[in-house]
Amino acid sequence: MNEFERRFDRMIREELTRRRLLRRGALGALSVSAIAYLAACGDDELSSGEDESEAKAIAKGEISKTLTFANWPLYIDIDDKTKERPTLEKFKAKYGTTVDYVEEVNDNTEFFGKVRQEYEQGKSGGRDIHCVTDWMCARMQRLGFVQRFDKAEMPNSTKNIEDAVASPDFDPKREYSMPWQSGQVGLVYRSDLTGGDLSSVNDLFDPKFKGKVTFLSEMRDSVGSVLLSDGITPEEASKDQVLEAIERIEKASKDGQIRRFTGNDYTKDILKGDSEALLGWSGDAIQLTADNPDIRFVQPEEGFMVFTDSMQIPVGAPHAFTAQKMIDFVYDPEIQAAITAYVNYVPPVKGTKEVLVEQDPEIANNELIFPDLANAHNFKTFSPEDERDIDEAFQRAIGA
Amino acid sequence: MSRTRRSLVPYALLAPGMLWLAIFFAIPLYYMAEISLKEGTLETGYQLTWHFQTYVDAIKNYDSQLMRSFQYAGLATLISLAIAFPLAYAIAFRGGRYKTALLLMVILPFFTTYLVRTLSWQTILDDSGLVVDALKAVGLLADDGRLLATTNAVVAGITYNFLPFMILPVYAALERIDPRMLEAAYDLYAKRRDVITRVVVPAAAPGIVAGVLLTFIPAAGDFVNAELLGTPQQSMIGTVIQSRYLEITDYPTAAALSFILMLIILVLVLVYARFVGTESLTGAEEAR
Repeated sequence: MNEFERRFDRMIREELTRRRLLRRGALGALSVSAIAYLAACGDDELSSGEDESEAKAIAKGEISKTLTFANWPLYIDIDDKTKERPTLEKFKAKYGTTVDYVEEVNDNTEFFGKVRQEYEQGKSGGRDIHCVTDWMCARMQRLGFVQRFDKAEMPNSTKNIEDAVASPDFDPKREYSMPWQSGQVGLVYRSDLTGGDLSSVNDLFDPKFKGKVTFLSEMRDSVGSVLLSDGITPEEASKDQVLEAIERIEKASKDGQIRRFTGNDYTKDILKGDSEALLGWSGDAIQLTADNPDIRFVQPEEGFMVFTDSMQIPVGAPHAFTAQKMIDFVYDPEIQAAITAYVNYVPPVKGTKEVLVEQDPEIANNELIFPDLANAHNFKTFSPEDERDIDEAFQRAIGA
Repeated sequence: MSRTRRSLVPYALLAPGMLWLAIFFAIPLYYMAEISLKEGTLETGYQLTWHFQTYVDAIKNYDSQLMRSFQYAGLATLISLAIAFPLAYAIAFRGGRYKTALLLMVILPFFTTYLVRTLSWQTILDDSGLVVDALKAVGLLADDGRLLATTNAVVAGITYNFLPFMILPVYAALERIDPRMLEAAYDLYAKRRDVITRVVVPAAAPGIVAGVLLTFIPAAGDFVNAELLGTPQQSMIGTVIQSRYLEITDYPTAAALSFILMLIILVLVLVYARFVGTESLTGAEEAR
């Protein structure tokens, strides 16, 4: 493939990667699933929220003929000619299992609304694996909706998981969730308009950028970044500190410093120059810097937030043992390399870079895909009540 | 036998419409009413507790967004009327053989989706766009001023998006006016202004009333324009309902706010109908 074809190919794909789907706002609302609404309308009894710490690990079994995998759209490699997914074909070649890959996760909350009643009754709706963002993984786990892995059956995952994502507070040993892909939240700016380089999230509060700054409407990404800029470690932040950070954001919004809160649509604003400095995602930055070389993506010096989407095996999954094999399968660096080369997110698998150095050095040397994770931070998991208060305060801050 | 059959005919004719209303209006409305009185979270499920406090809290917490929605909708409706009336008049009385073509141009934007049209306004109004440059050049906009992400942009967006709902009914009403009536008025030495205010406007009243309702009601519940062309300081009640429903998954408050919005609109429409007279809703009595 020559350079031009590569650029074109990436342009088409990047245009549609999942973070580009408007996560919030107009499009999101119009796509809301009616099922989620009806599910919420039914008569429900309180779930017991049983203690799953004693849950038995997934039992050994036979490799099944089929497997159902629910994931976000455009989140796995696809052969553009045959429309096959090479990673799944490789799994079939090794285990003889045909994977039914369903792109049904468009939004964490929406997906939760859709599956809650089934999961509550111990039915998975035929799903063997689902992939949701870590904060939603924590909720699924808290409610006893997911099964515990038998880590002895998962040699690759145990050996190859990146340290930065290996022990989140809600699942310190990664026994209920395994990362699928991660992404970084960082500073995106137009070096031709800002008249200098940015190094900290505090720079976004500089009055000289008034009305030219946008923040992300994803609460954890925006608030976590602001906490870091205040010198607070997001993993250890108290609820009050989080609420203070939200107040700081709210004040900046009221003062007109922050122009608006965005999903992926910030890409359009910065390309046109309507915004000059903002919080954005590494997955978009790869395309942005290609479109306009003046656009920079940097990790804030005080540290940066990562988000991670993880795979889980829901209760009642018909092929849990095979699902566990599938999860372990993508922790083989050779397999992971193909996914990374296609989706351009940060892979959670050690050794992926080494594989890509030979296959695709351009990707292997891209700091957006292989960042220095020493300064990476995750958002703390709060109790359901605190989480609700925080969500509420943030929604109010962003005007809703 | 034939008499019973005949007496059943009206009901049979009503049946499809009633069925439609039952399935797509009455049942959802019932569910919405029920959920607005429940308490709980998506995580634990919702229990019906007849919690009317949700309504009180909703009004208390979101009064500014409610007010703003009606202000923006009212403003957009007035501007729409100011644009639509002369335009519809020109098409109806001066359109000649271009009438159809002109009408087509009015509805042509509807051939693309609402979202795409609103998104394209982002491009038109953006900080380095033609409109901003032109306004700055003639001094109508301060040098550090902007159009996008302002109240003006939101109101303009709403006006633009709902304008055809005003033009078409007004046009339909004007079109029905017999030109000889205007001639008669002139023959009786009416001045041009009097012809407009005492003949044309009363005759077009049903169209104006319909246009105002068709514009105002959806505009009050709109959130797309505020979301795409505004900032958090322009957020409307639709934005809040959307976020309560999708982001916080606080379904009771979202449902309660929807009911509040519906009730306020209903009251406003009733007051309006009373004020302008119900006959103009159903037919042009004064025009005859």
